[in-house]
Amino acid sequence: MLFGWSNSTCEAQINGIRLAKKMGAMIDDTSSFCQGMLIEKVLQNKFKTCSLEEIRDKADVLVYWGSDAQDSEPRHLSRFSYFPRGQMRQRGYEEDRLAIAIDVRESNTAKICKGHFYRISPKGDREFIFALMDALSGKVPSYEPKKMLELAAIMKKAEFGAIFVGIGLTYSIKNDFEILVSLADMLPNFNIMPMIGHYNMRGFNEALFRETGFVNRVKFEGGAHDAKYSIVEALRTKSIDALLVVGSDPVSSLPRSLLAHLASIPVICIDPCVTMTSKIATVTIPCAVAGVEAAGTAVRMDGKIIELSKILESNYPSDERILTMFMEAL
Amino acid sequence: MPSVMELYQLLPRTNCKICGESTCMAFAVALLGRKRKIIECTPILSENFKKQKEKLESLLLPSAGAEETGMIVHPELCTGCGNCVVACPVDVANDPKGAAVGHAPTNDKVIFKIVDGKVIASNIRECRRFGKNRVLCYACIDPCPVGAIEFV
Amino acid sequence: MGIDVGKFLKSPEFDIRITTYRDIFQVEALERDRFGEDYRKLSACIMLSKNDLHRMGFKPGDRVKVSSHSGSIVVEVKESKRDEPGGLAFMVNSPWSNALVSEDTGGRGMPEFKEISAKIALTKDNVTTIEELMEFKGKI
Repeated sequence: MLFGWSNSTCEAQINGIRLAKKMGAMIDDTSSFCQGMLIEKVLQNKFKTCSLEEIRDKADVLVYWGSDAQDSEPRHLSRFSYFPRGQMRQRGYEEDRLAIAIDVRESNTAKICKGHFYRISPKGDREFIFALMDALSGKVPSYEPKKMLELAAIMKKAEFGAIFVGIGLTYSIKNDFEILVSLADMLPNFNIMPMIGHYNMRGFNEALFRETGFVNRVKFEGGAHDAKYSIVEALRTKSIDALLVVGSDPVSSLPRSLLAHLASIPVICIDPCVTMTSKIATVTIPCAVAGVEAAGTAVRMDGKIIELSKILESNYPSDERILTMFMEAL
Repeated sequence: MPSVMELYQLLPRTNCKICGESTCMAFAVALLGRKRKIIECTPILSENFKKQKEKLESLLLPSAGAEETGMIVHPELCTGCGNCVVACPVDVANDPKGAAVGHAPTNDKVIFKIVDGKVIASNIRECRRFGKNRVLCYACIDPCPVGAIEFV
Repeated sequence: MGIDVGKFLKSPEFDIRITTYRDIFQVEALERDRFGEDYRKLSACIMLSKNDLHRMGFKPGDRVKVSSHSGSIVVEVKESKRDEPGGLAFMVNSPWSNALVSEDTGGRGMPEFKEISAKIALTKDNVTTIEELMEFKGKI
């Protein structure tokens, strides 16, 4: 399996997909246990979505749902969503915008949302969505009726709303993304924004989607897409016997009980940093840091393509170059 | 509040006595006590010490401001998000194409700046809490979830 | 280590639900040095509400053994500064919290990072190190 990719340039990701195709290998990325399912729905146009610049210029109601942008995307509120004065939101956050947080904990983002923080219990998102849908359709919800009716009234009045879907919501509703689609359908003035942590996760998802119609978990031999080709299931069922890791640290980010198999098979790690994975890898190839020591492009959470430039010289090749050398050697 | 040692480490540490103090350590103590100004150390004004001078200024500014407006910045709490930079109405007025629309400041007229991931305050006289027509503005406090800015 | 009598007295054990979150300073420490002291300090801890601390008789700074069906770790207790109702503990997403996460995903490939059932008890053992989390059978 070829795994990682969310911290690589689009160019390296495309090389990785080519390499997997050539070898008939499995390919998966960190979105597999992160926001993959949500991005798939976005790429399938199941949601109305928009650019971050549009949010800055137009948005009046912002909903941070299972997302602590303050800690995970620290410039999100100050650059694009809540605080900047946008074209149509000249009076700033005090008068022109309203921020709402829905979360299991009073995160830093929730603190900023002050009077509009809705605390839910873990896995409470489903119940919350159904209650909100009831409230939006004029029914009195059984869950927190007063608060839900108040929230529904705010959301109905929005001229240009955005729901920032964090990993808290994604993990909570799992395979049940249709309920989020149904909710979004009831909110024609709202846009869905996937909150993505790694800088180029969406880039990989888009590239693989163009190639195969799926955002992750693909086995090129037979051209199949299945949960069993996810990094988690492939390790749990011990169905892979070698792993190439690019720009990711699965030893750090996966459940530890999966790692005995990872540690028992040959692992090749390409990364600019020393990581837990690079320490246990059979072969580690250090590479240049993209956006600092190597140029390329990346896709932002809203789909905008961002040019990364090289600003420092490095003795290390980029991951893109290393993967090209792999292809040549094969 | 920075410590004497923090300030001392940033000085040239040559004990040249140009400032009139017997040692750089004595000058650091005087700096902390606001009896001396950074510019009285003429060697630090050279290009070689640019970074150190800026760091010194940032360490000394919060309390310099506190005397005038009561503003205190706690750099250890600051996450560098820039909410205050963008939300401050003075920054919006003084940098309409930069801070006002969410970018990093494009000029030196702003009150808040993020340097090395931490907020520093300058142009403190521009603060709406300062001067004759002062107002009790909360525009930099409310957007900060970690309480890195306070007024005393 | 010498013979420690306290070690043989079983501390009371409590059931706890844990959810993971992200902390900006912990991620900063990771980017600086994931094998460093700061990253361990900010990761190897569990945040409990005041109510839960009181109920379990723990103090901030105590070391606790947290065990799930998938593994166990020793971390430090911290008190949540937020006004939390209790019943839910918080851990920053890290190799420490991942030692407690089950590999069983019902075939879906999405581990339950956000809702971990565990037991928690005081311990005199040392806080689990990142090196210990990298020891696997057959290969180190």
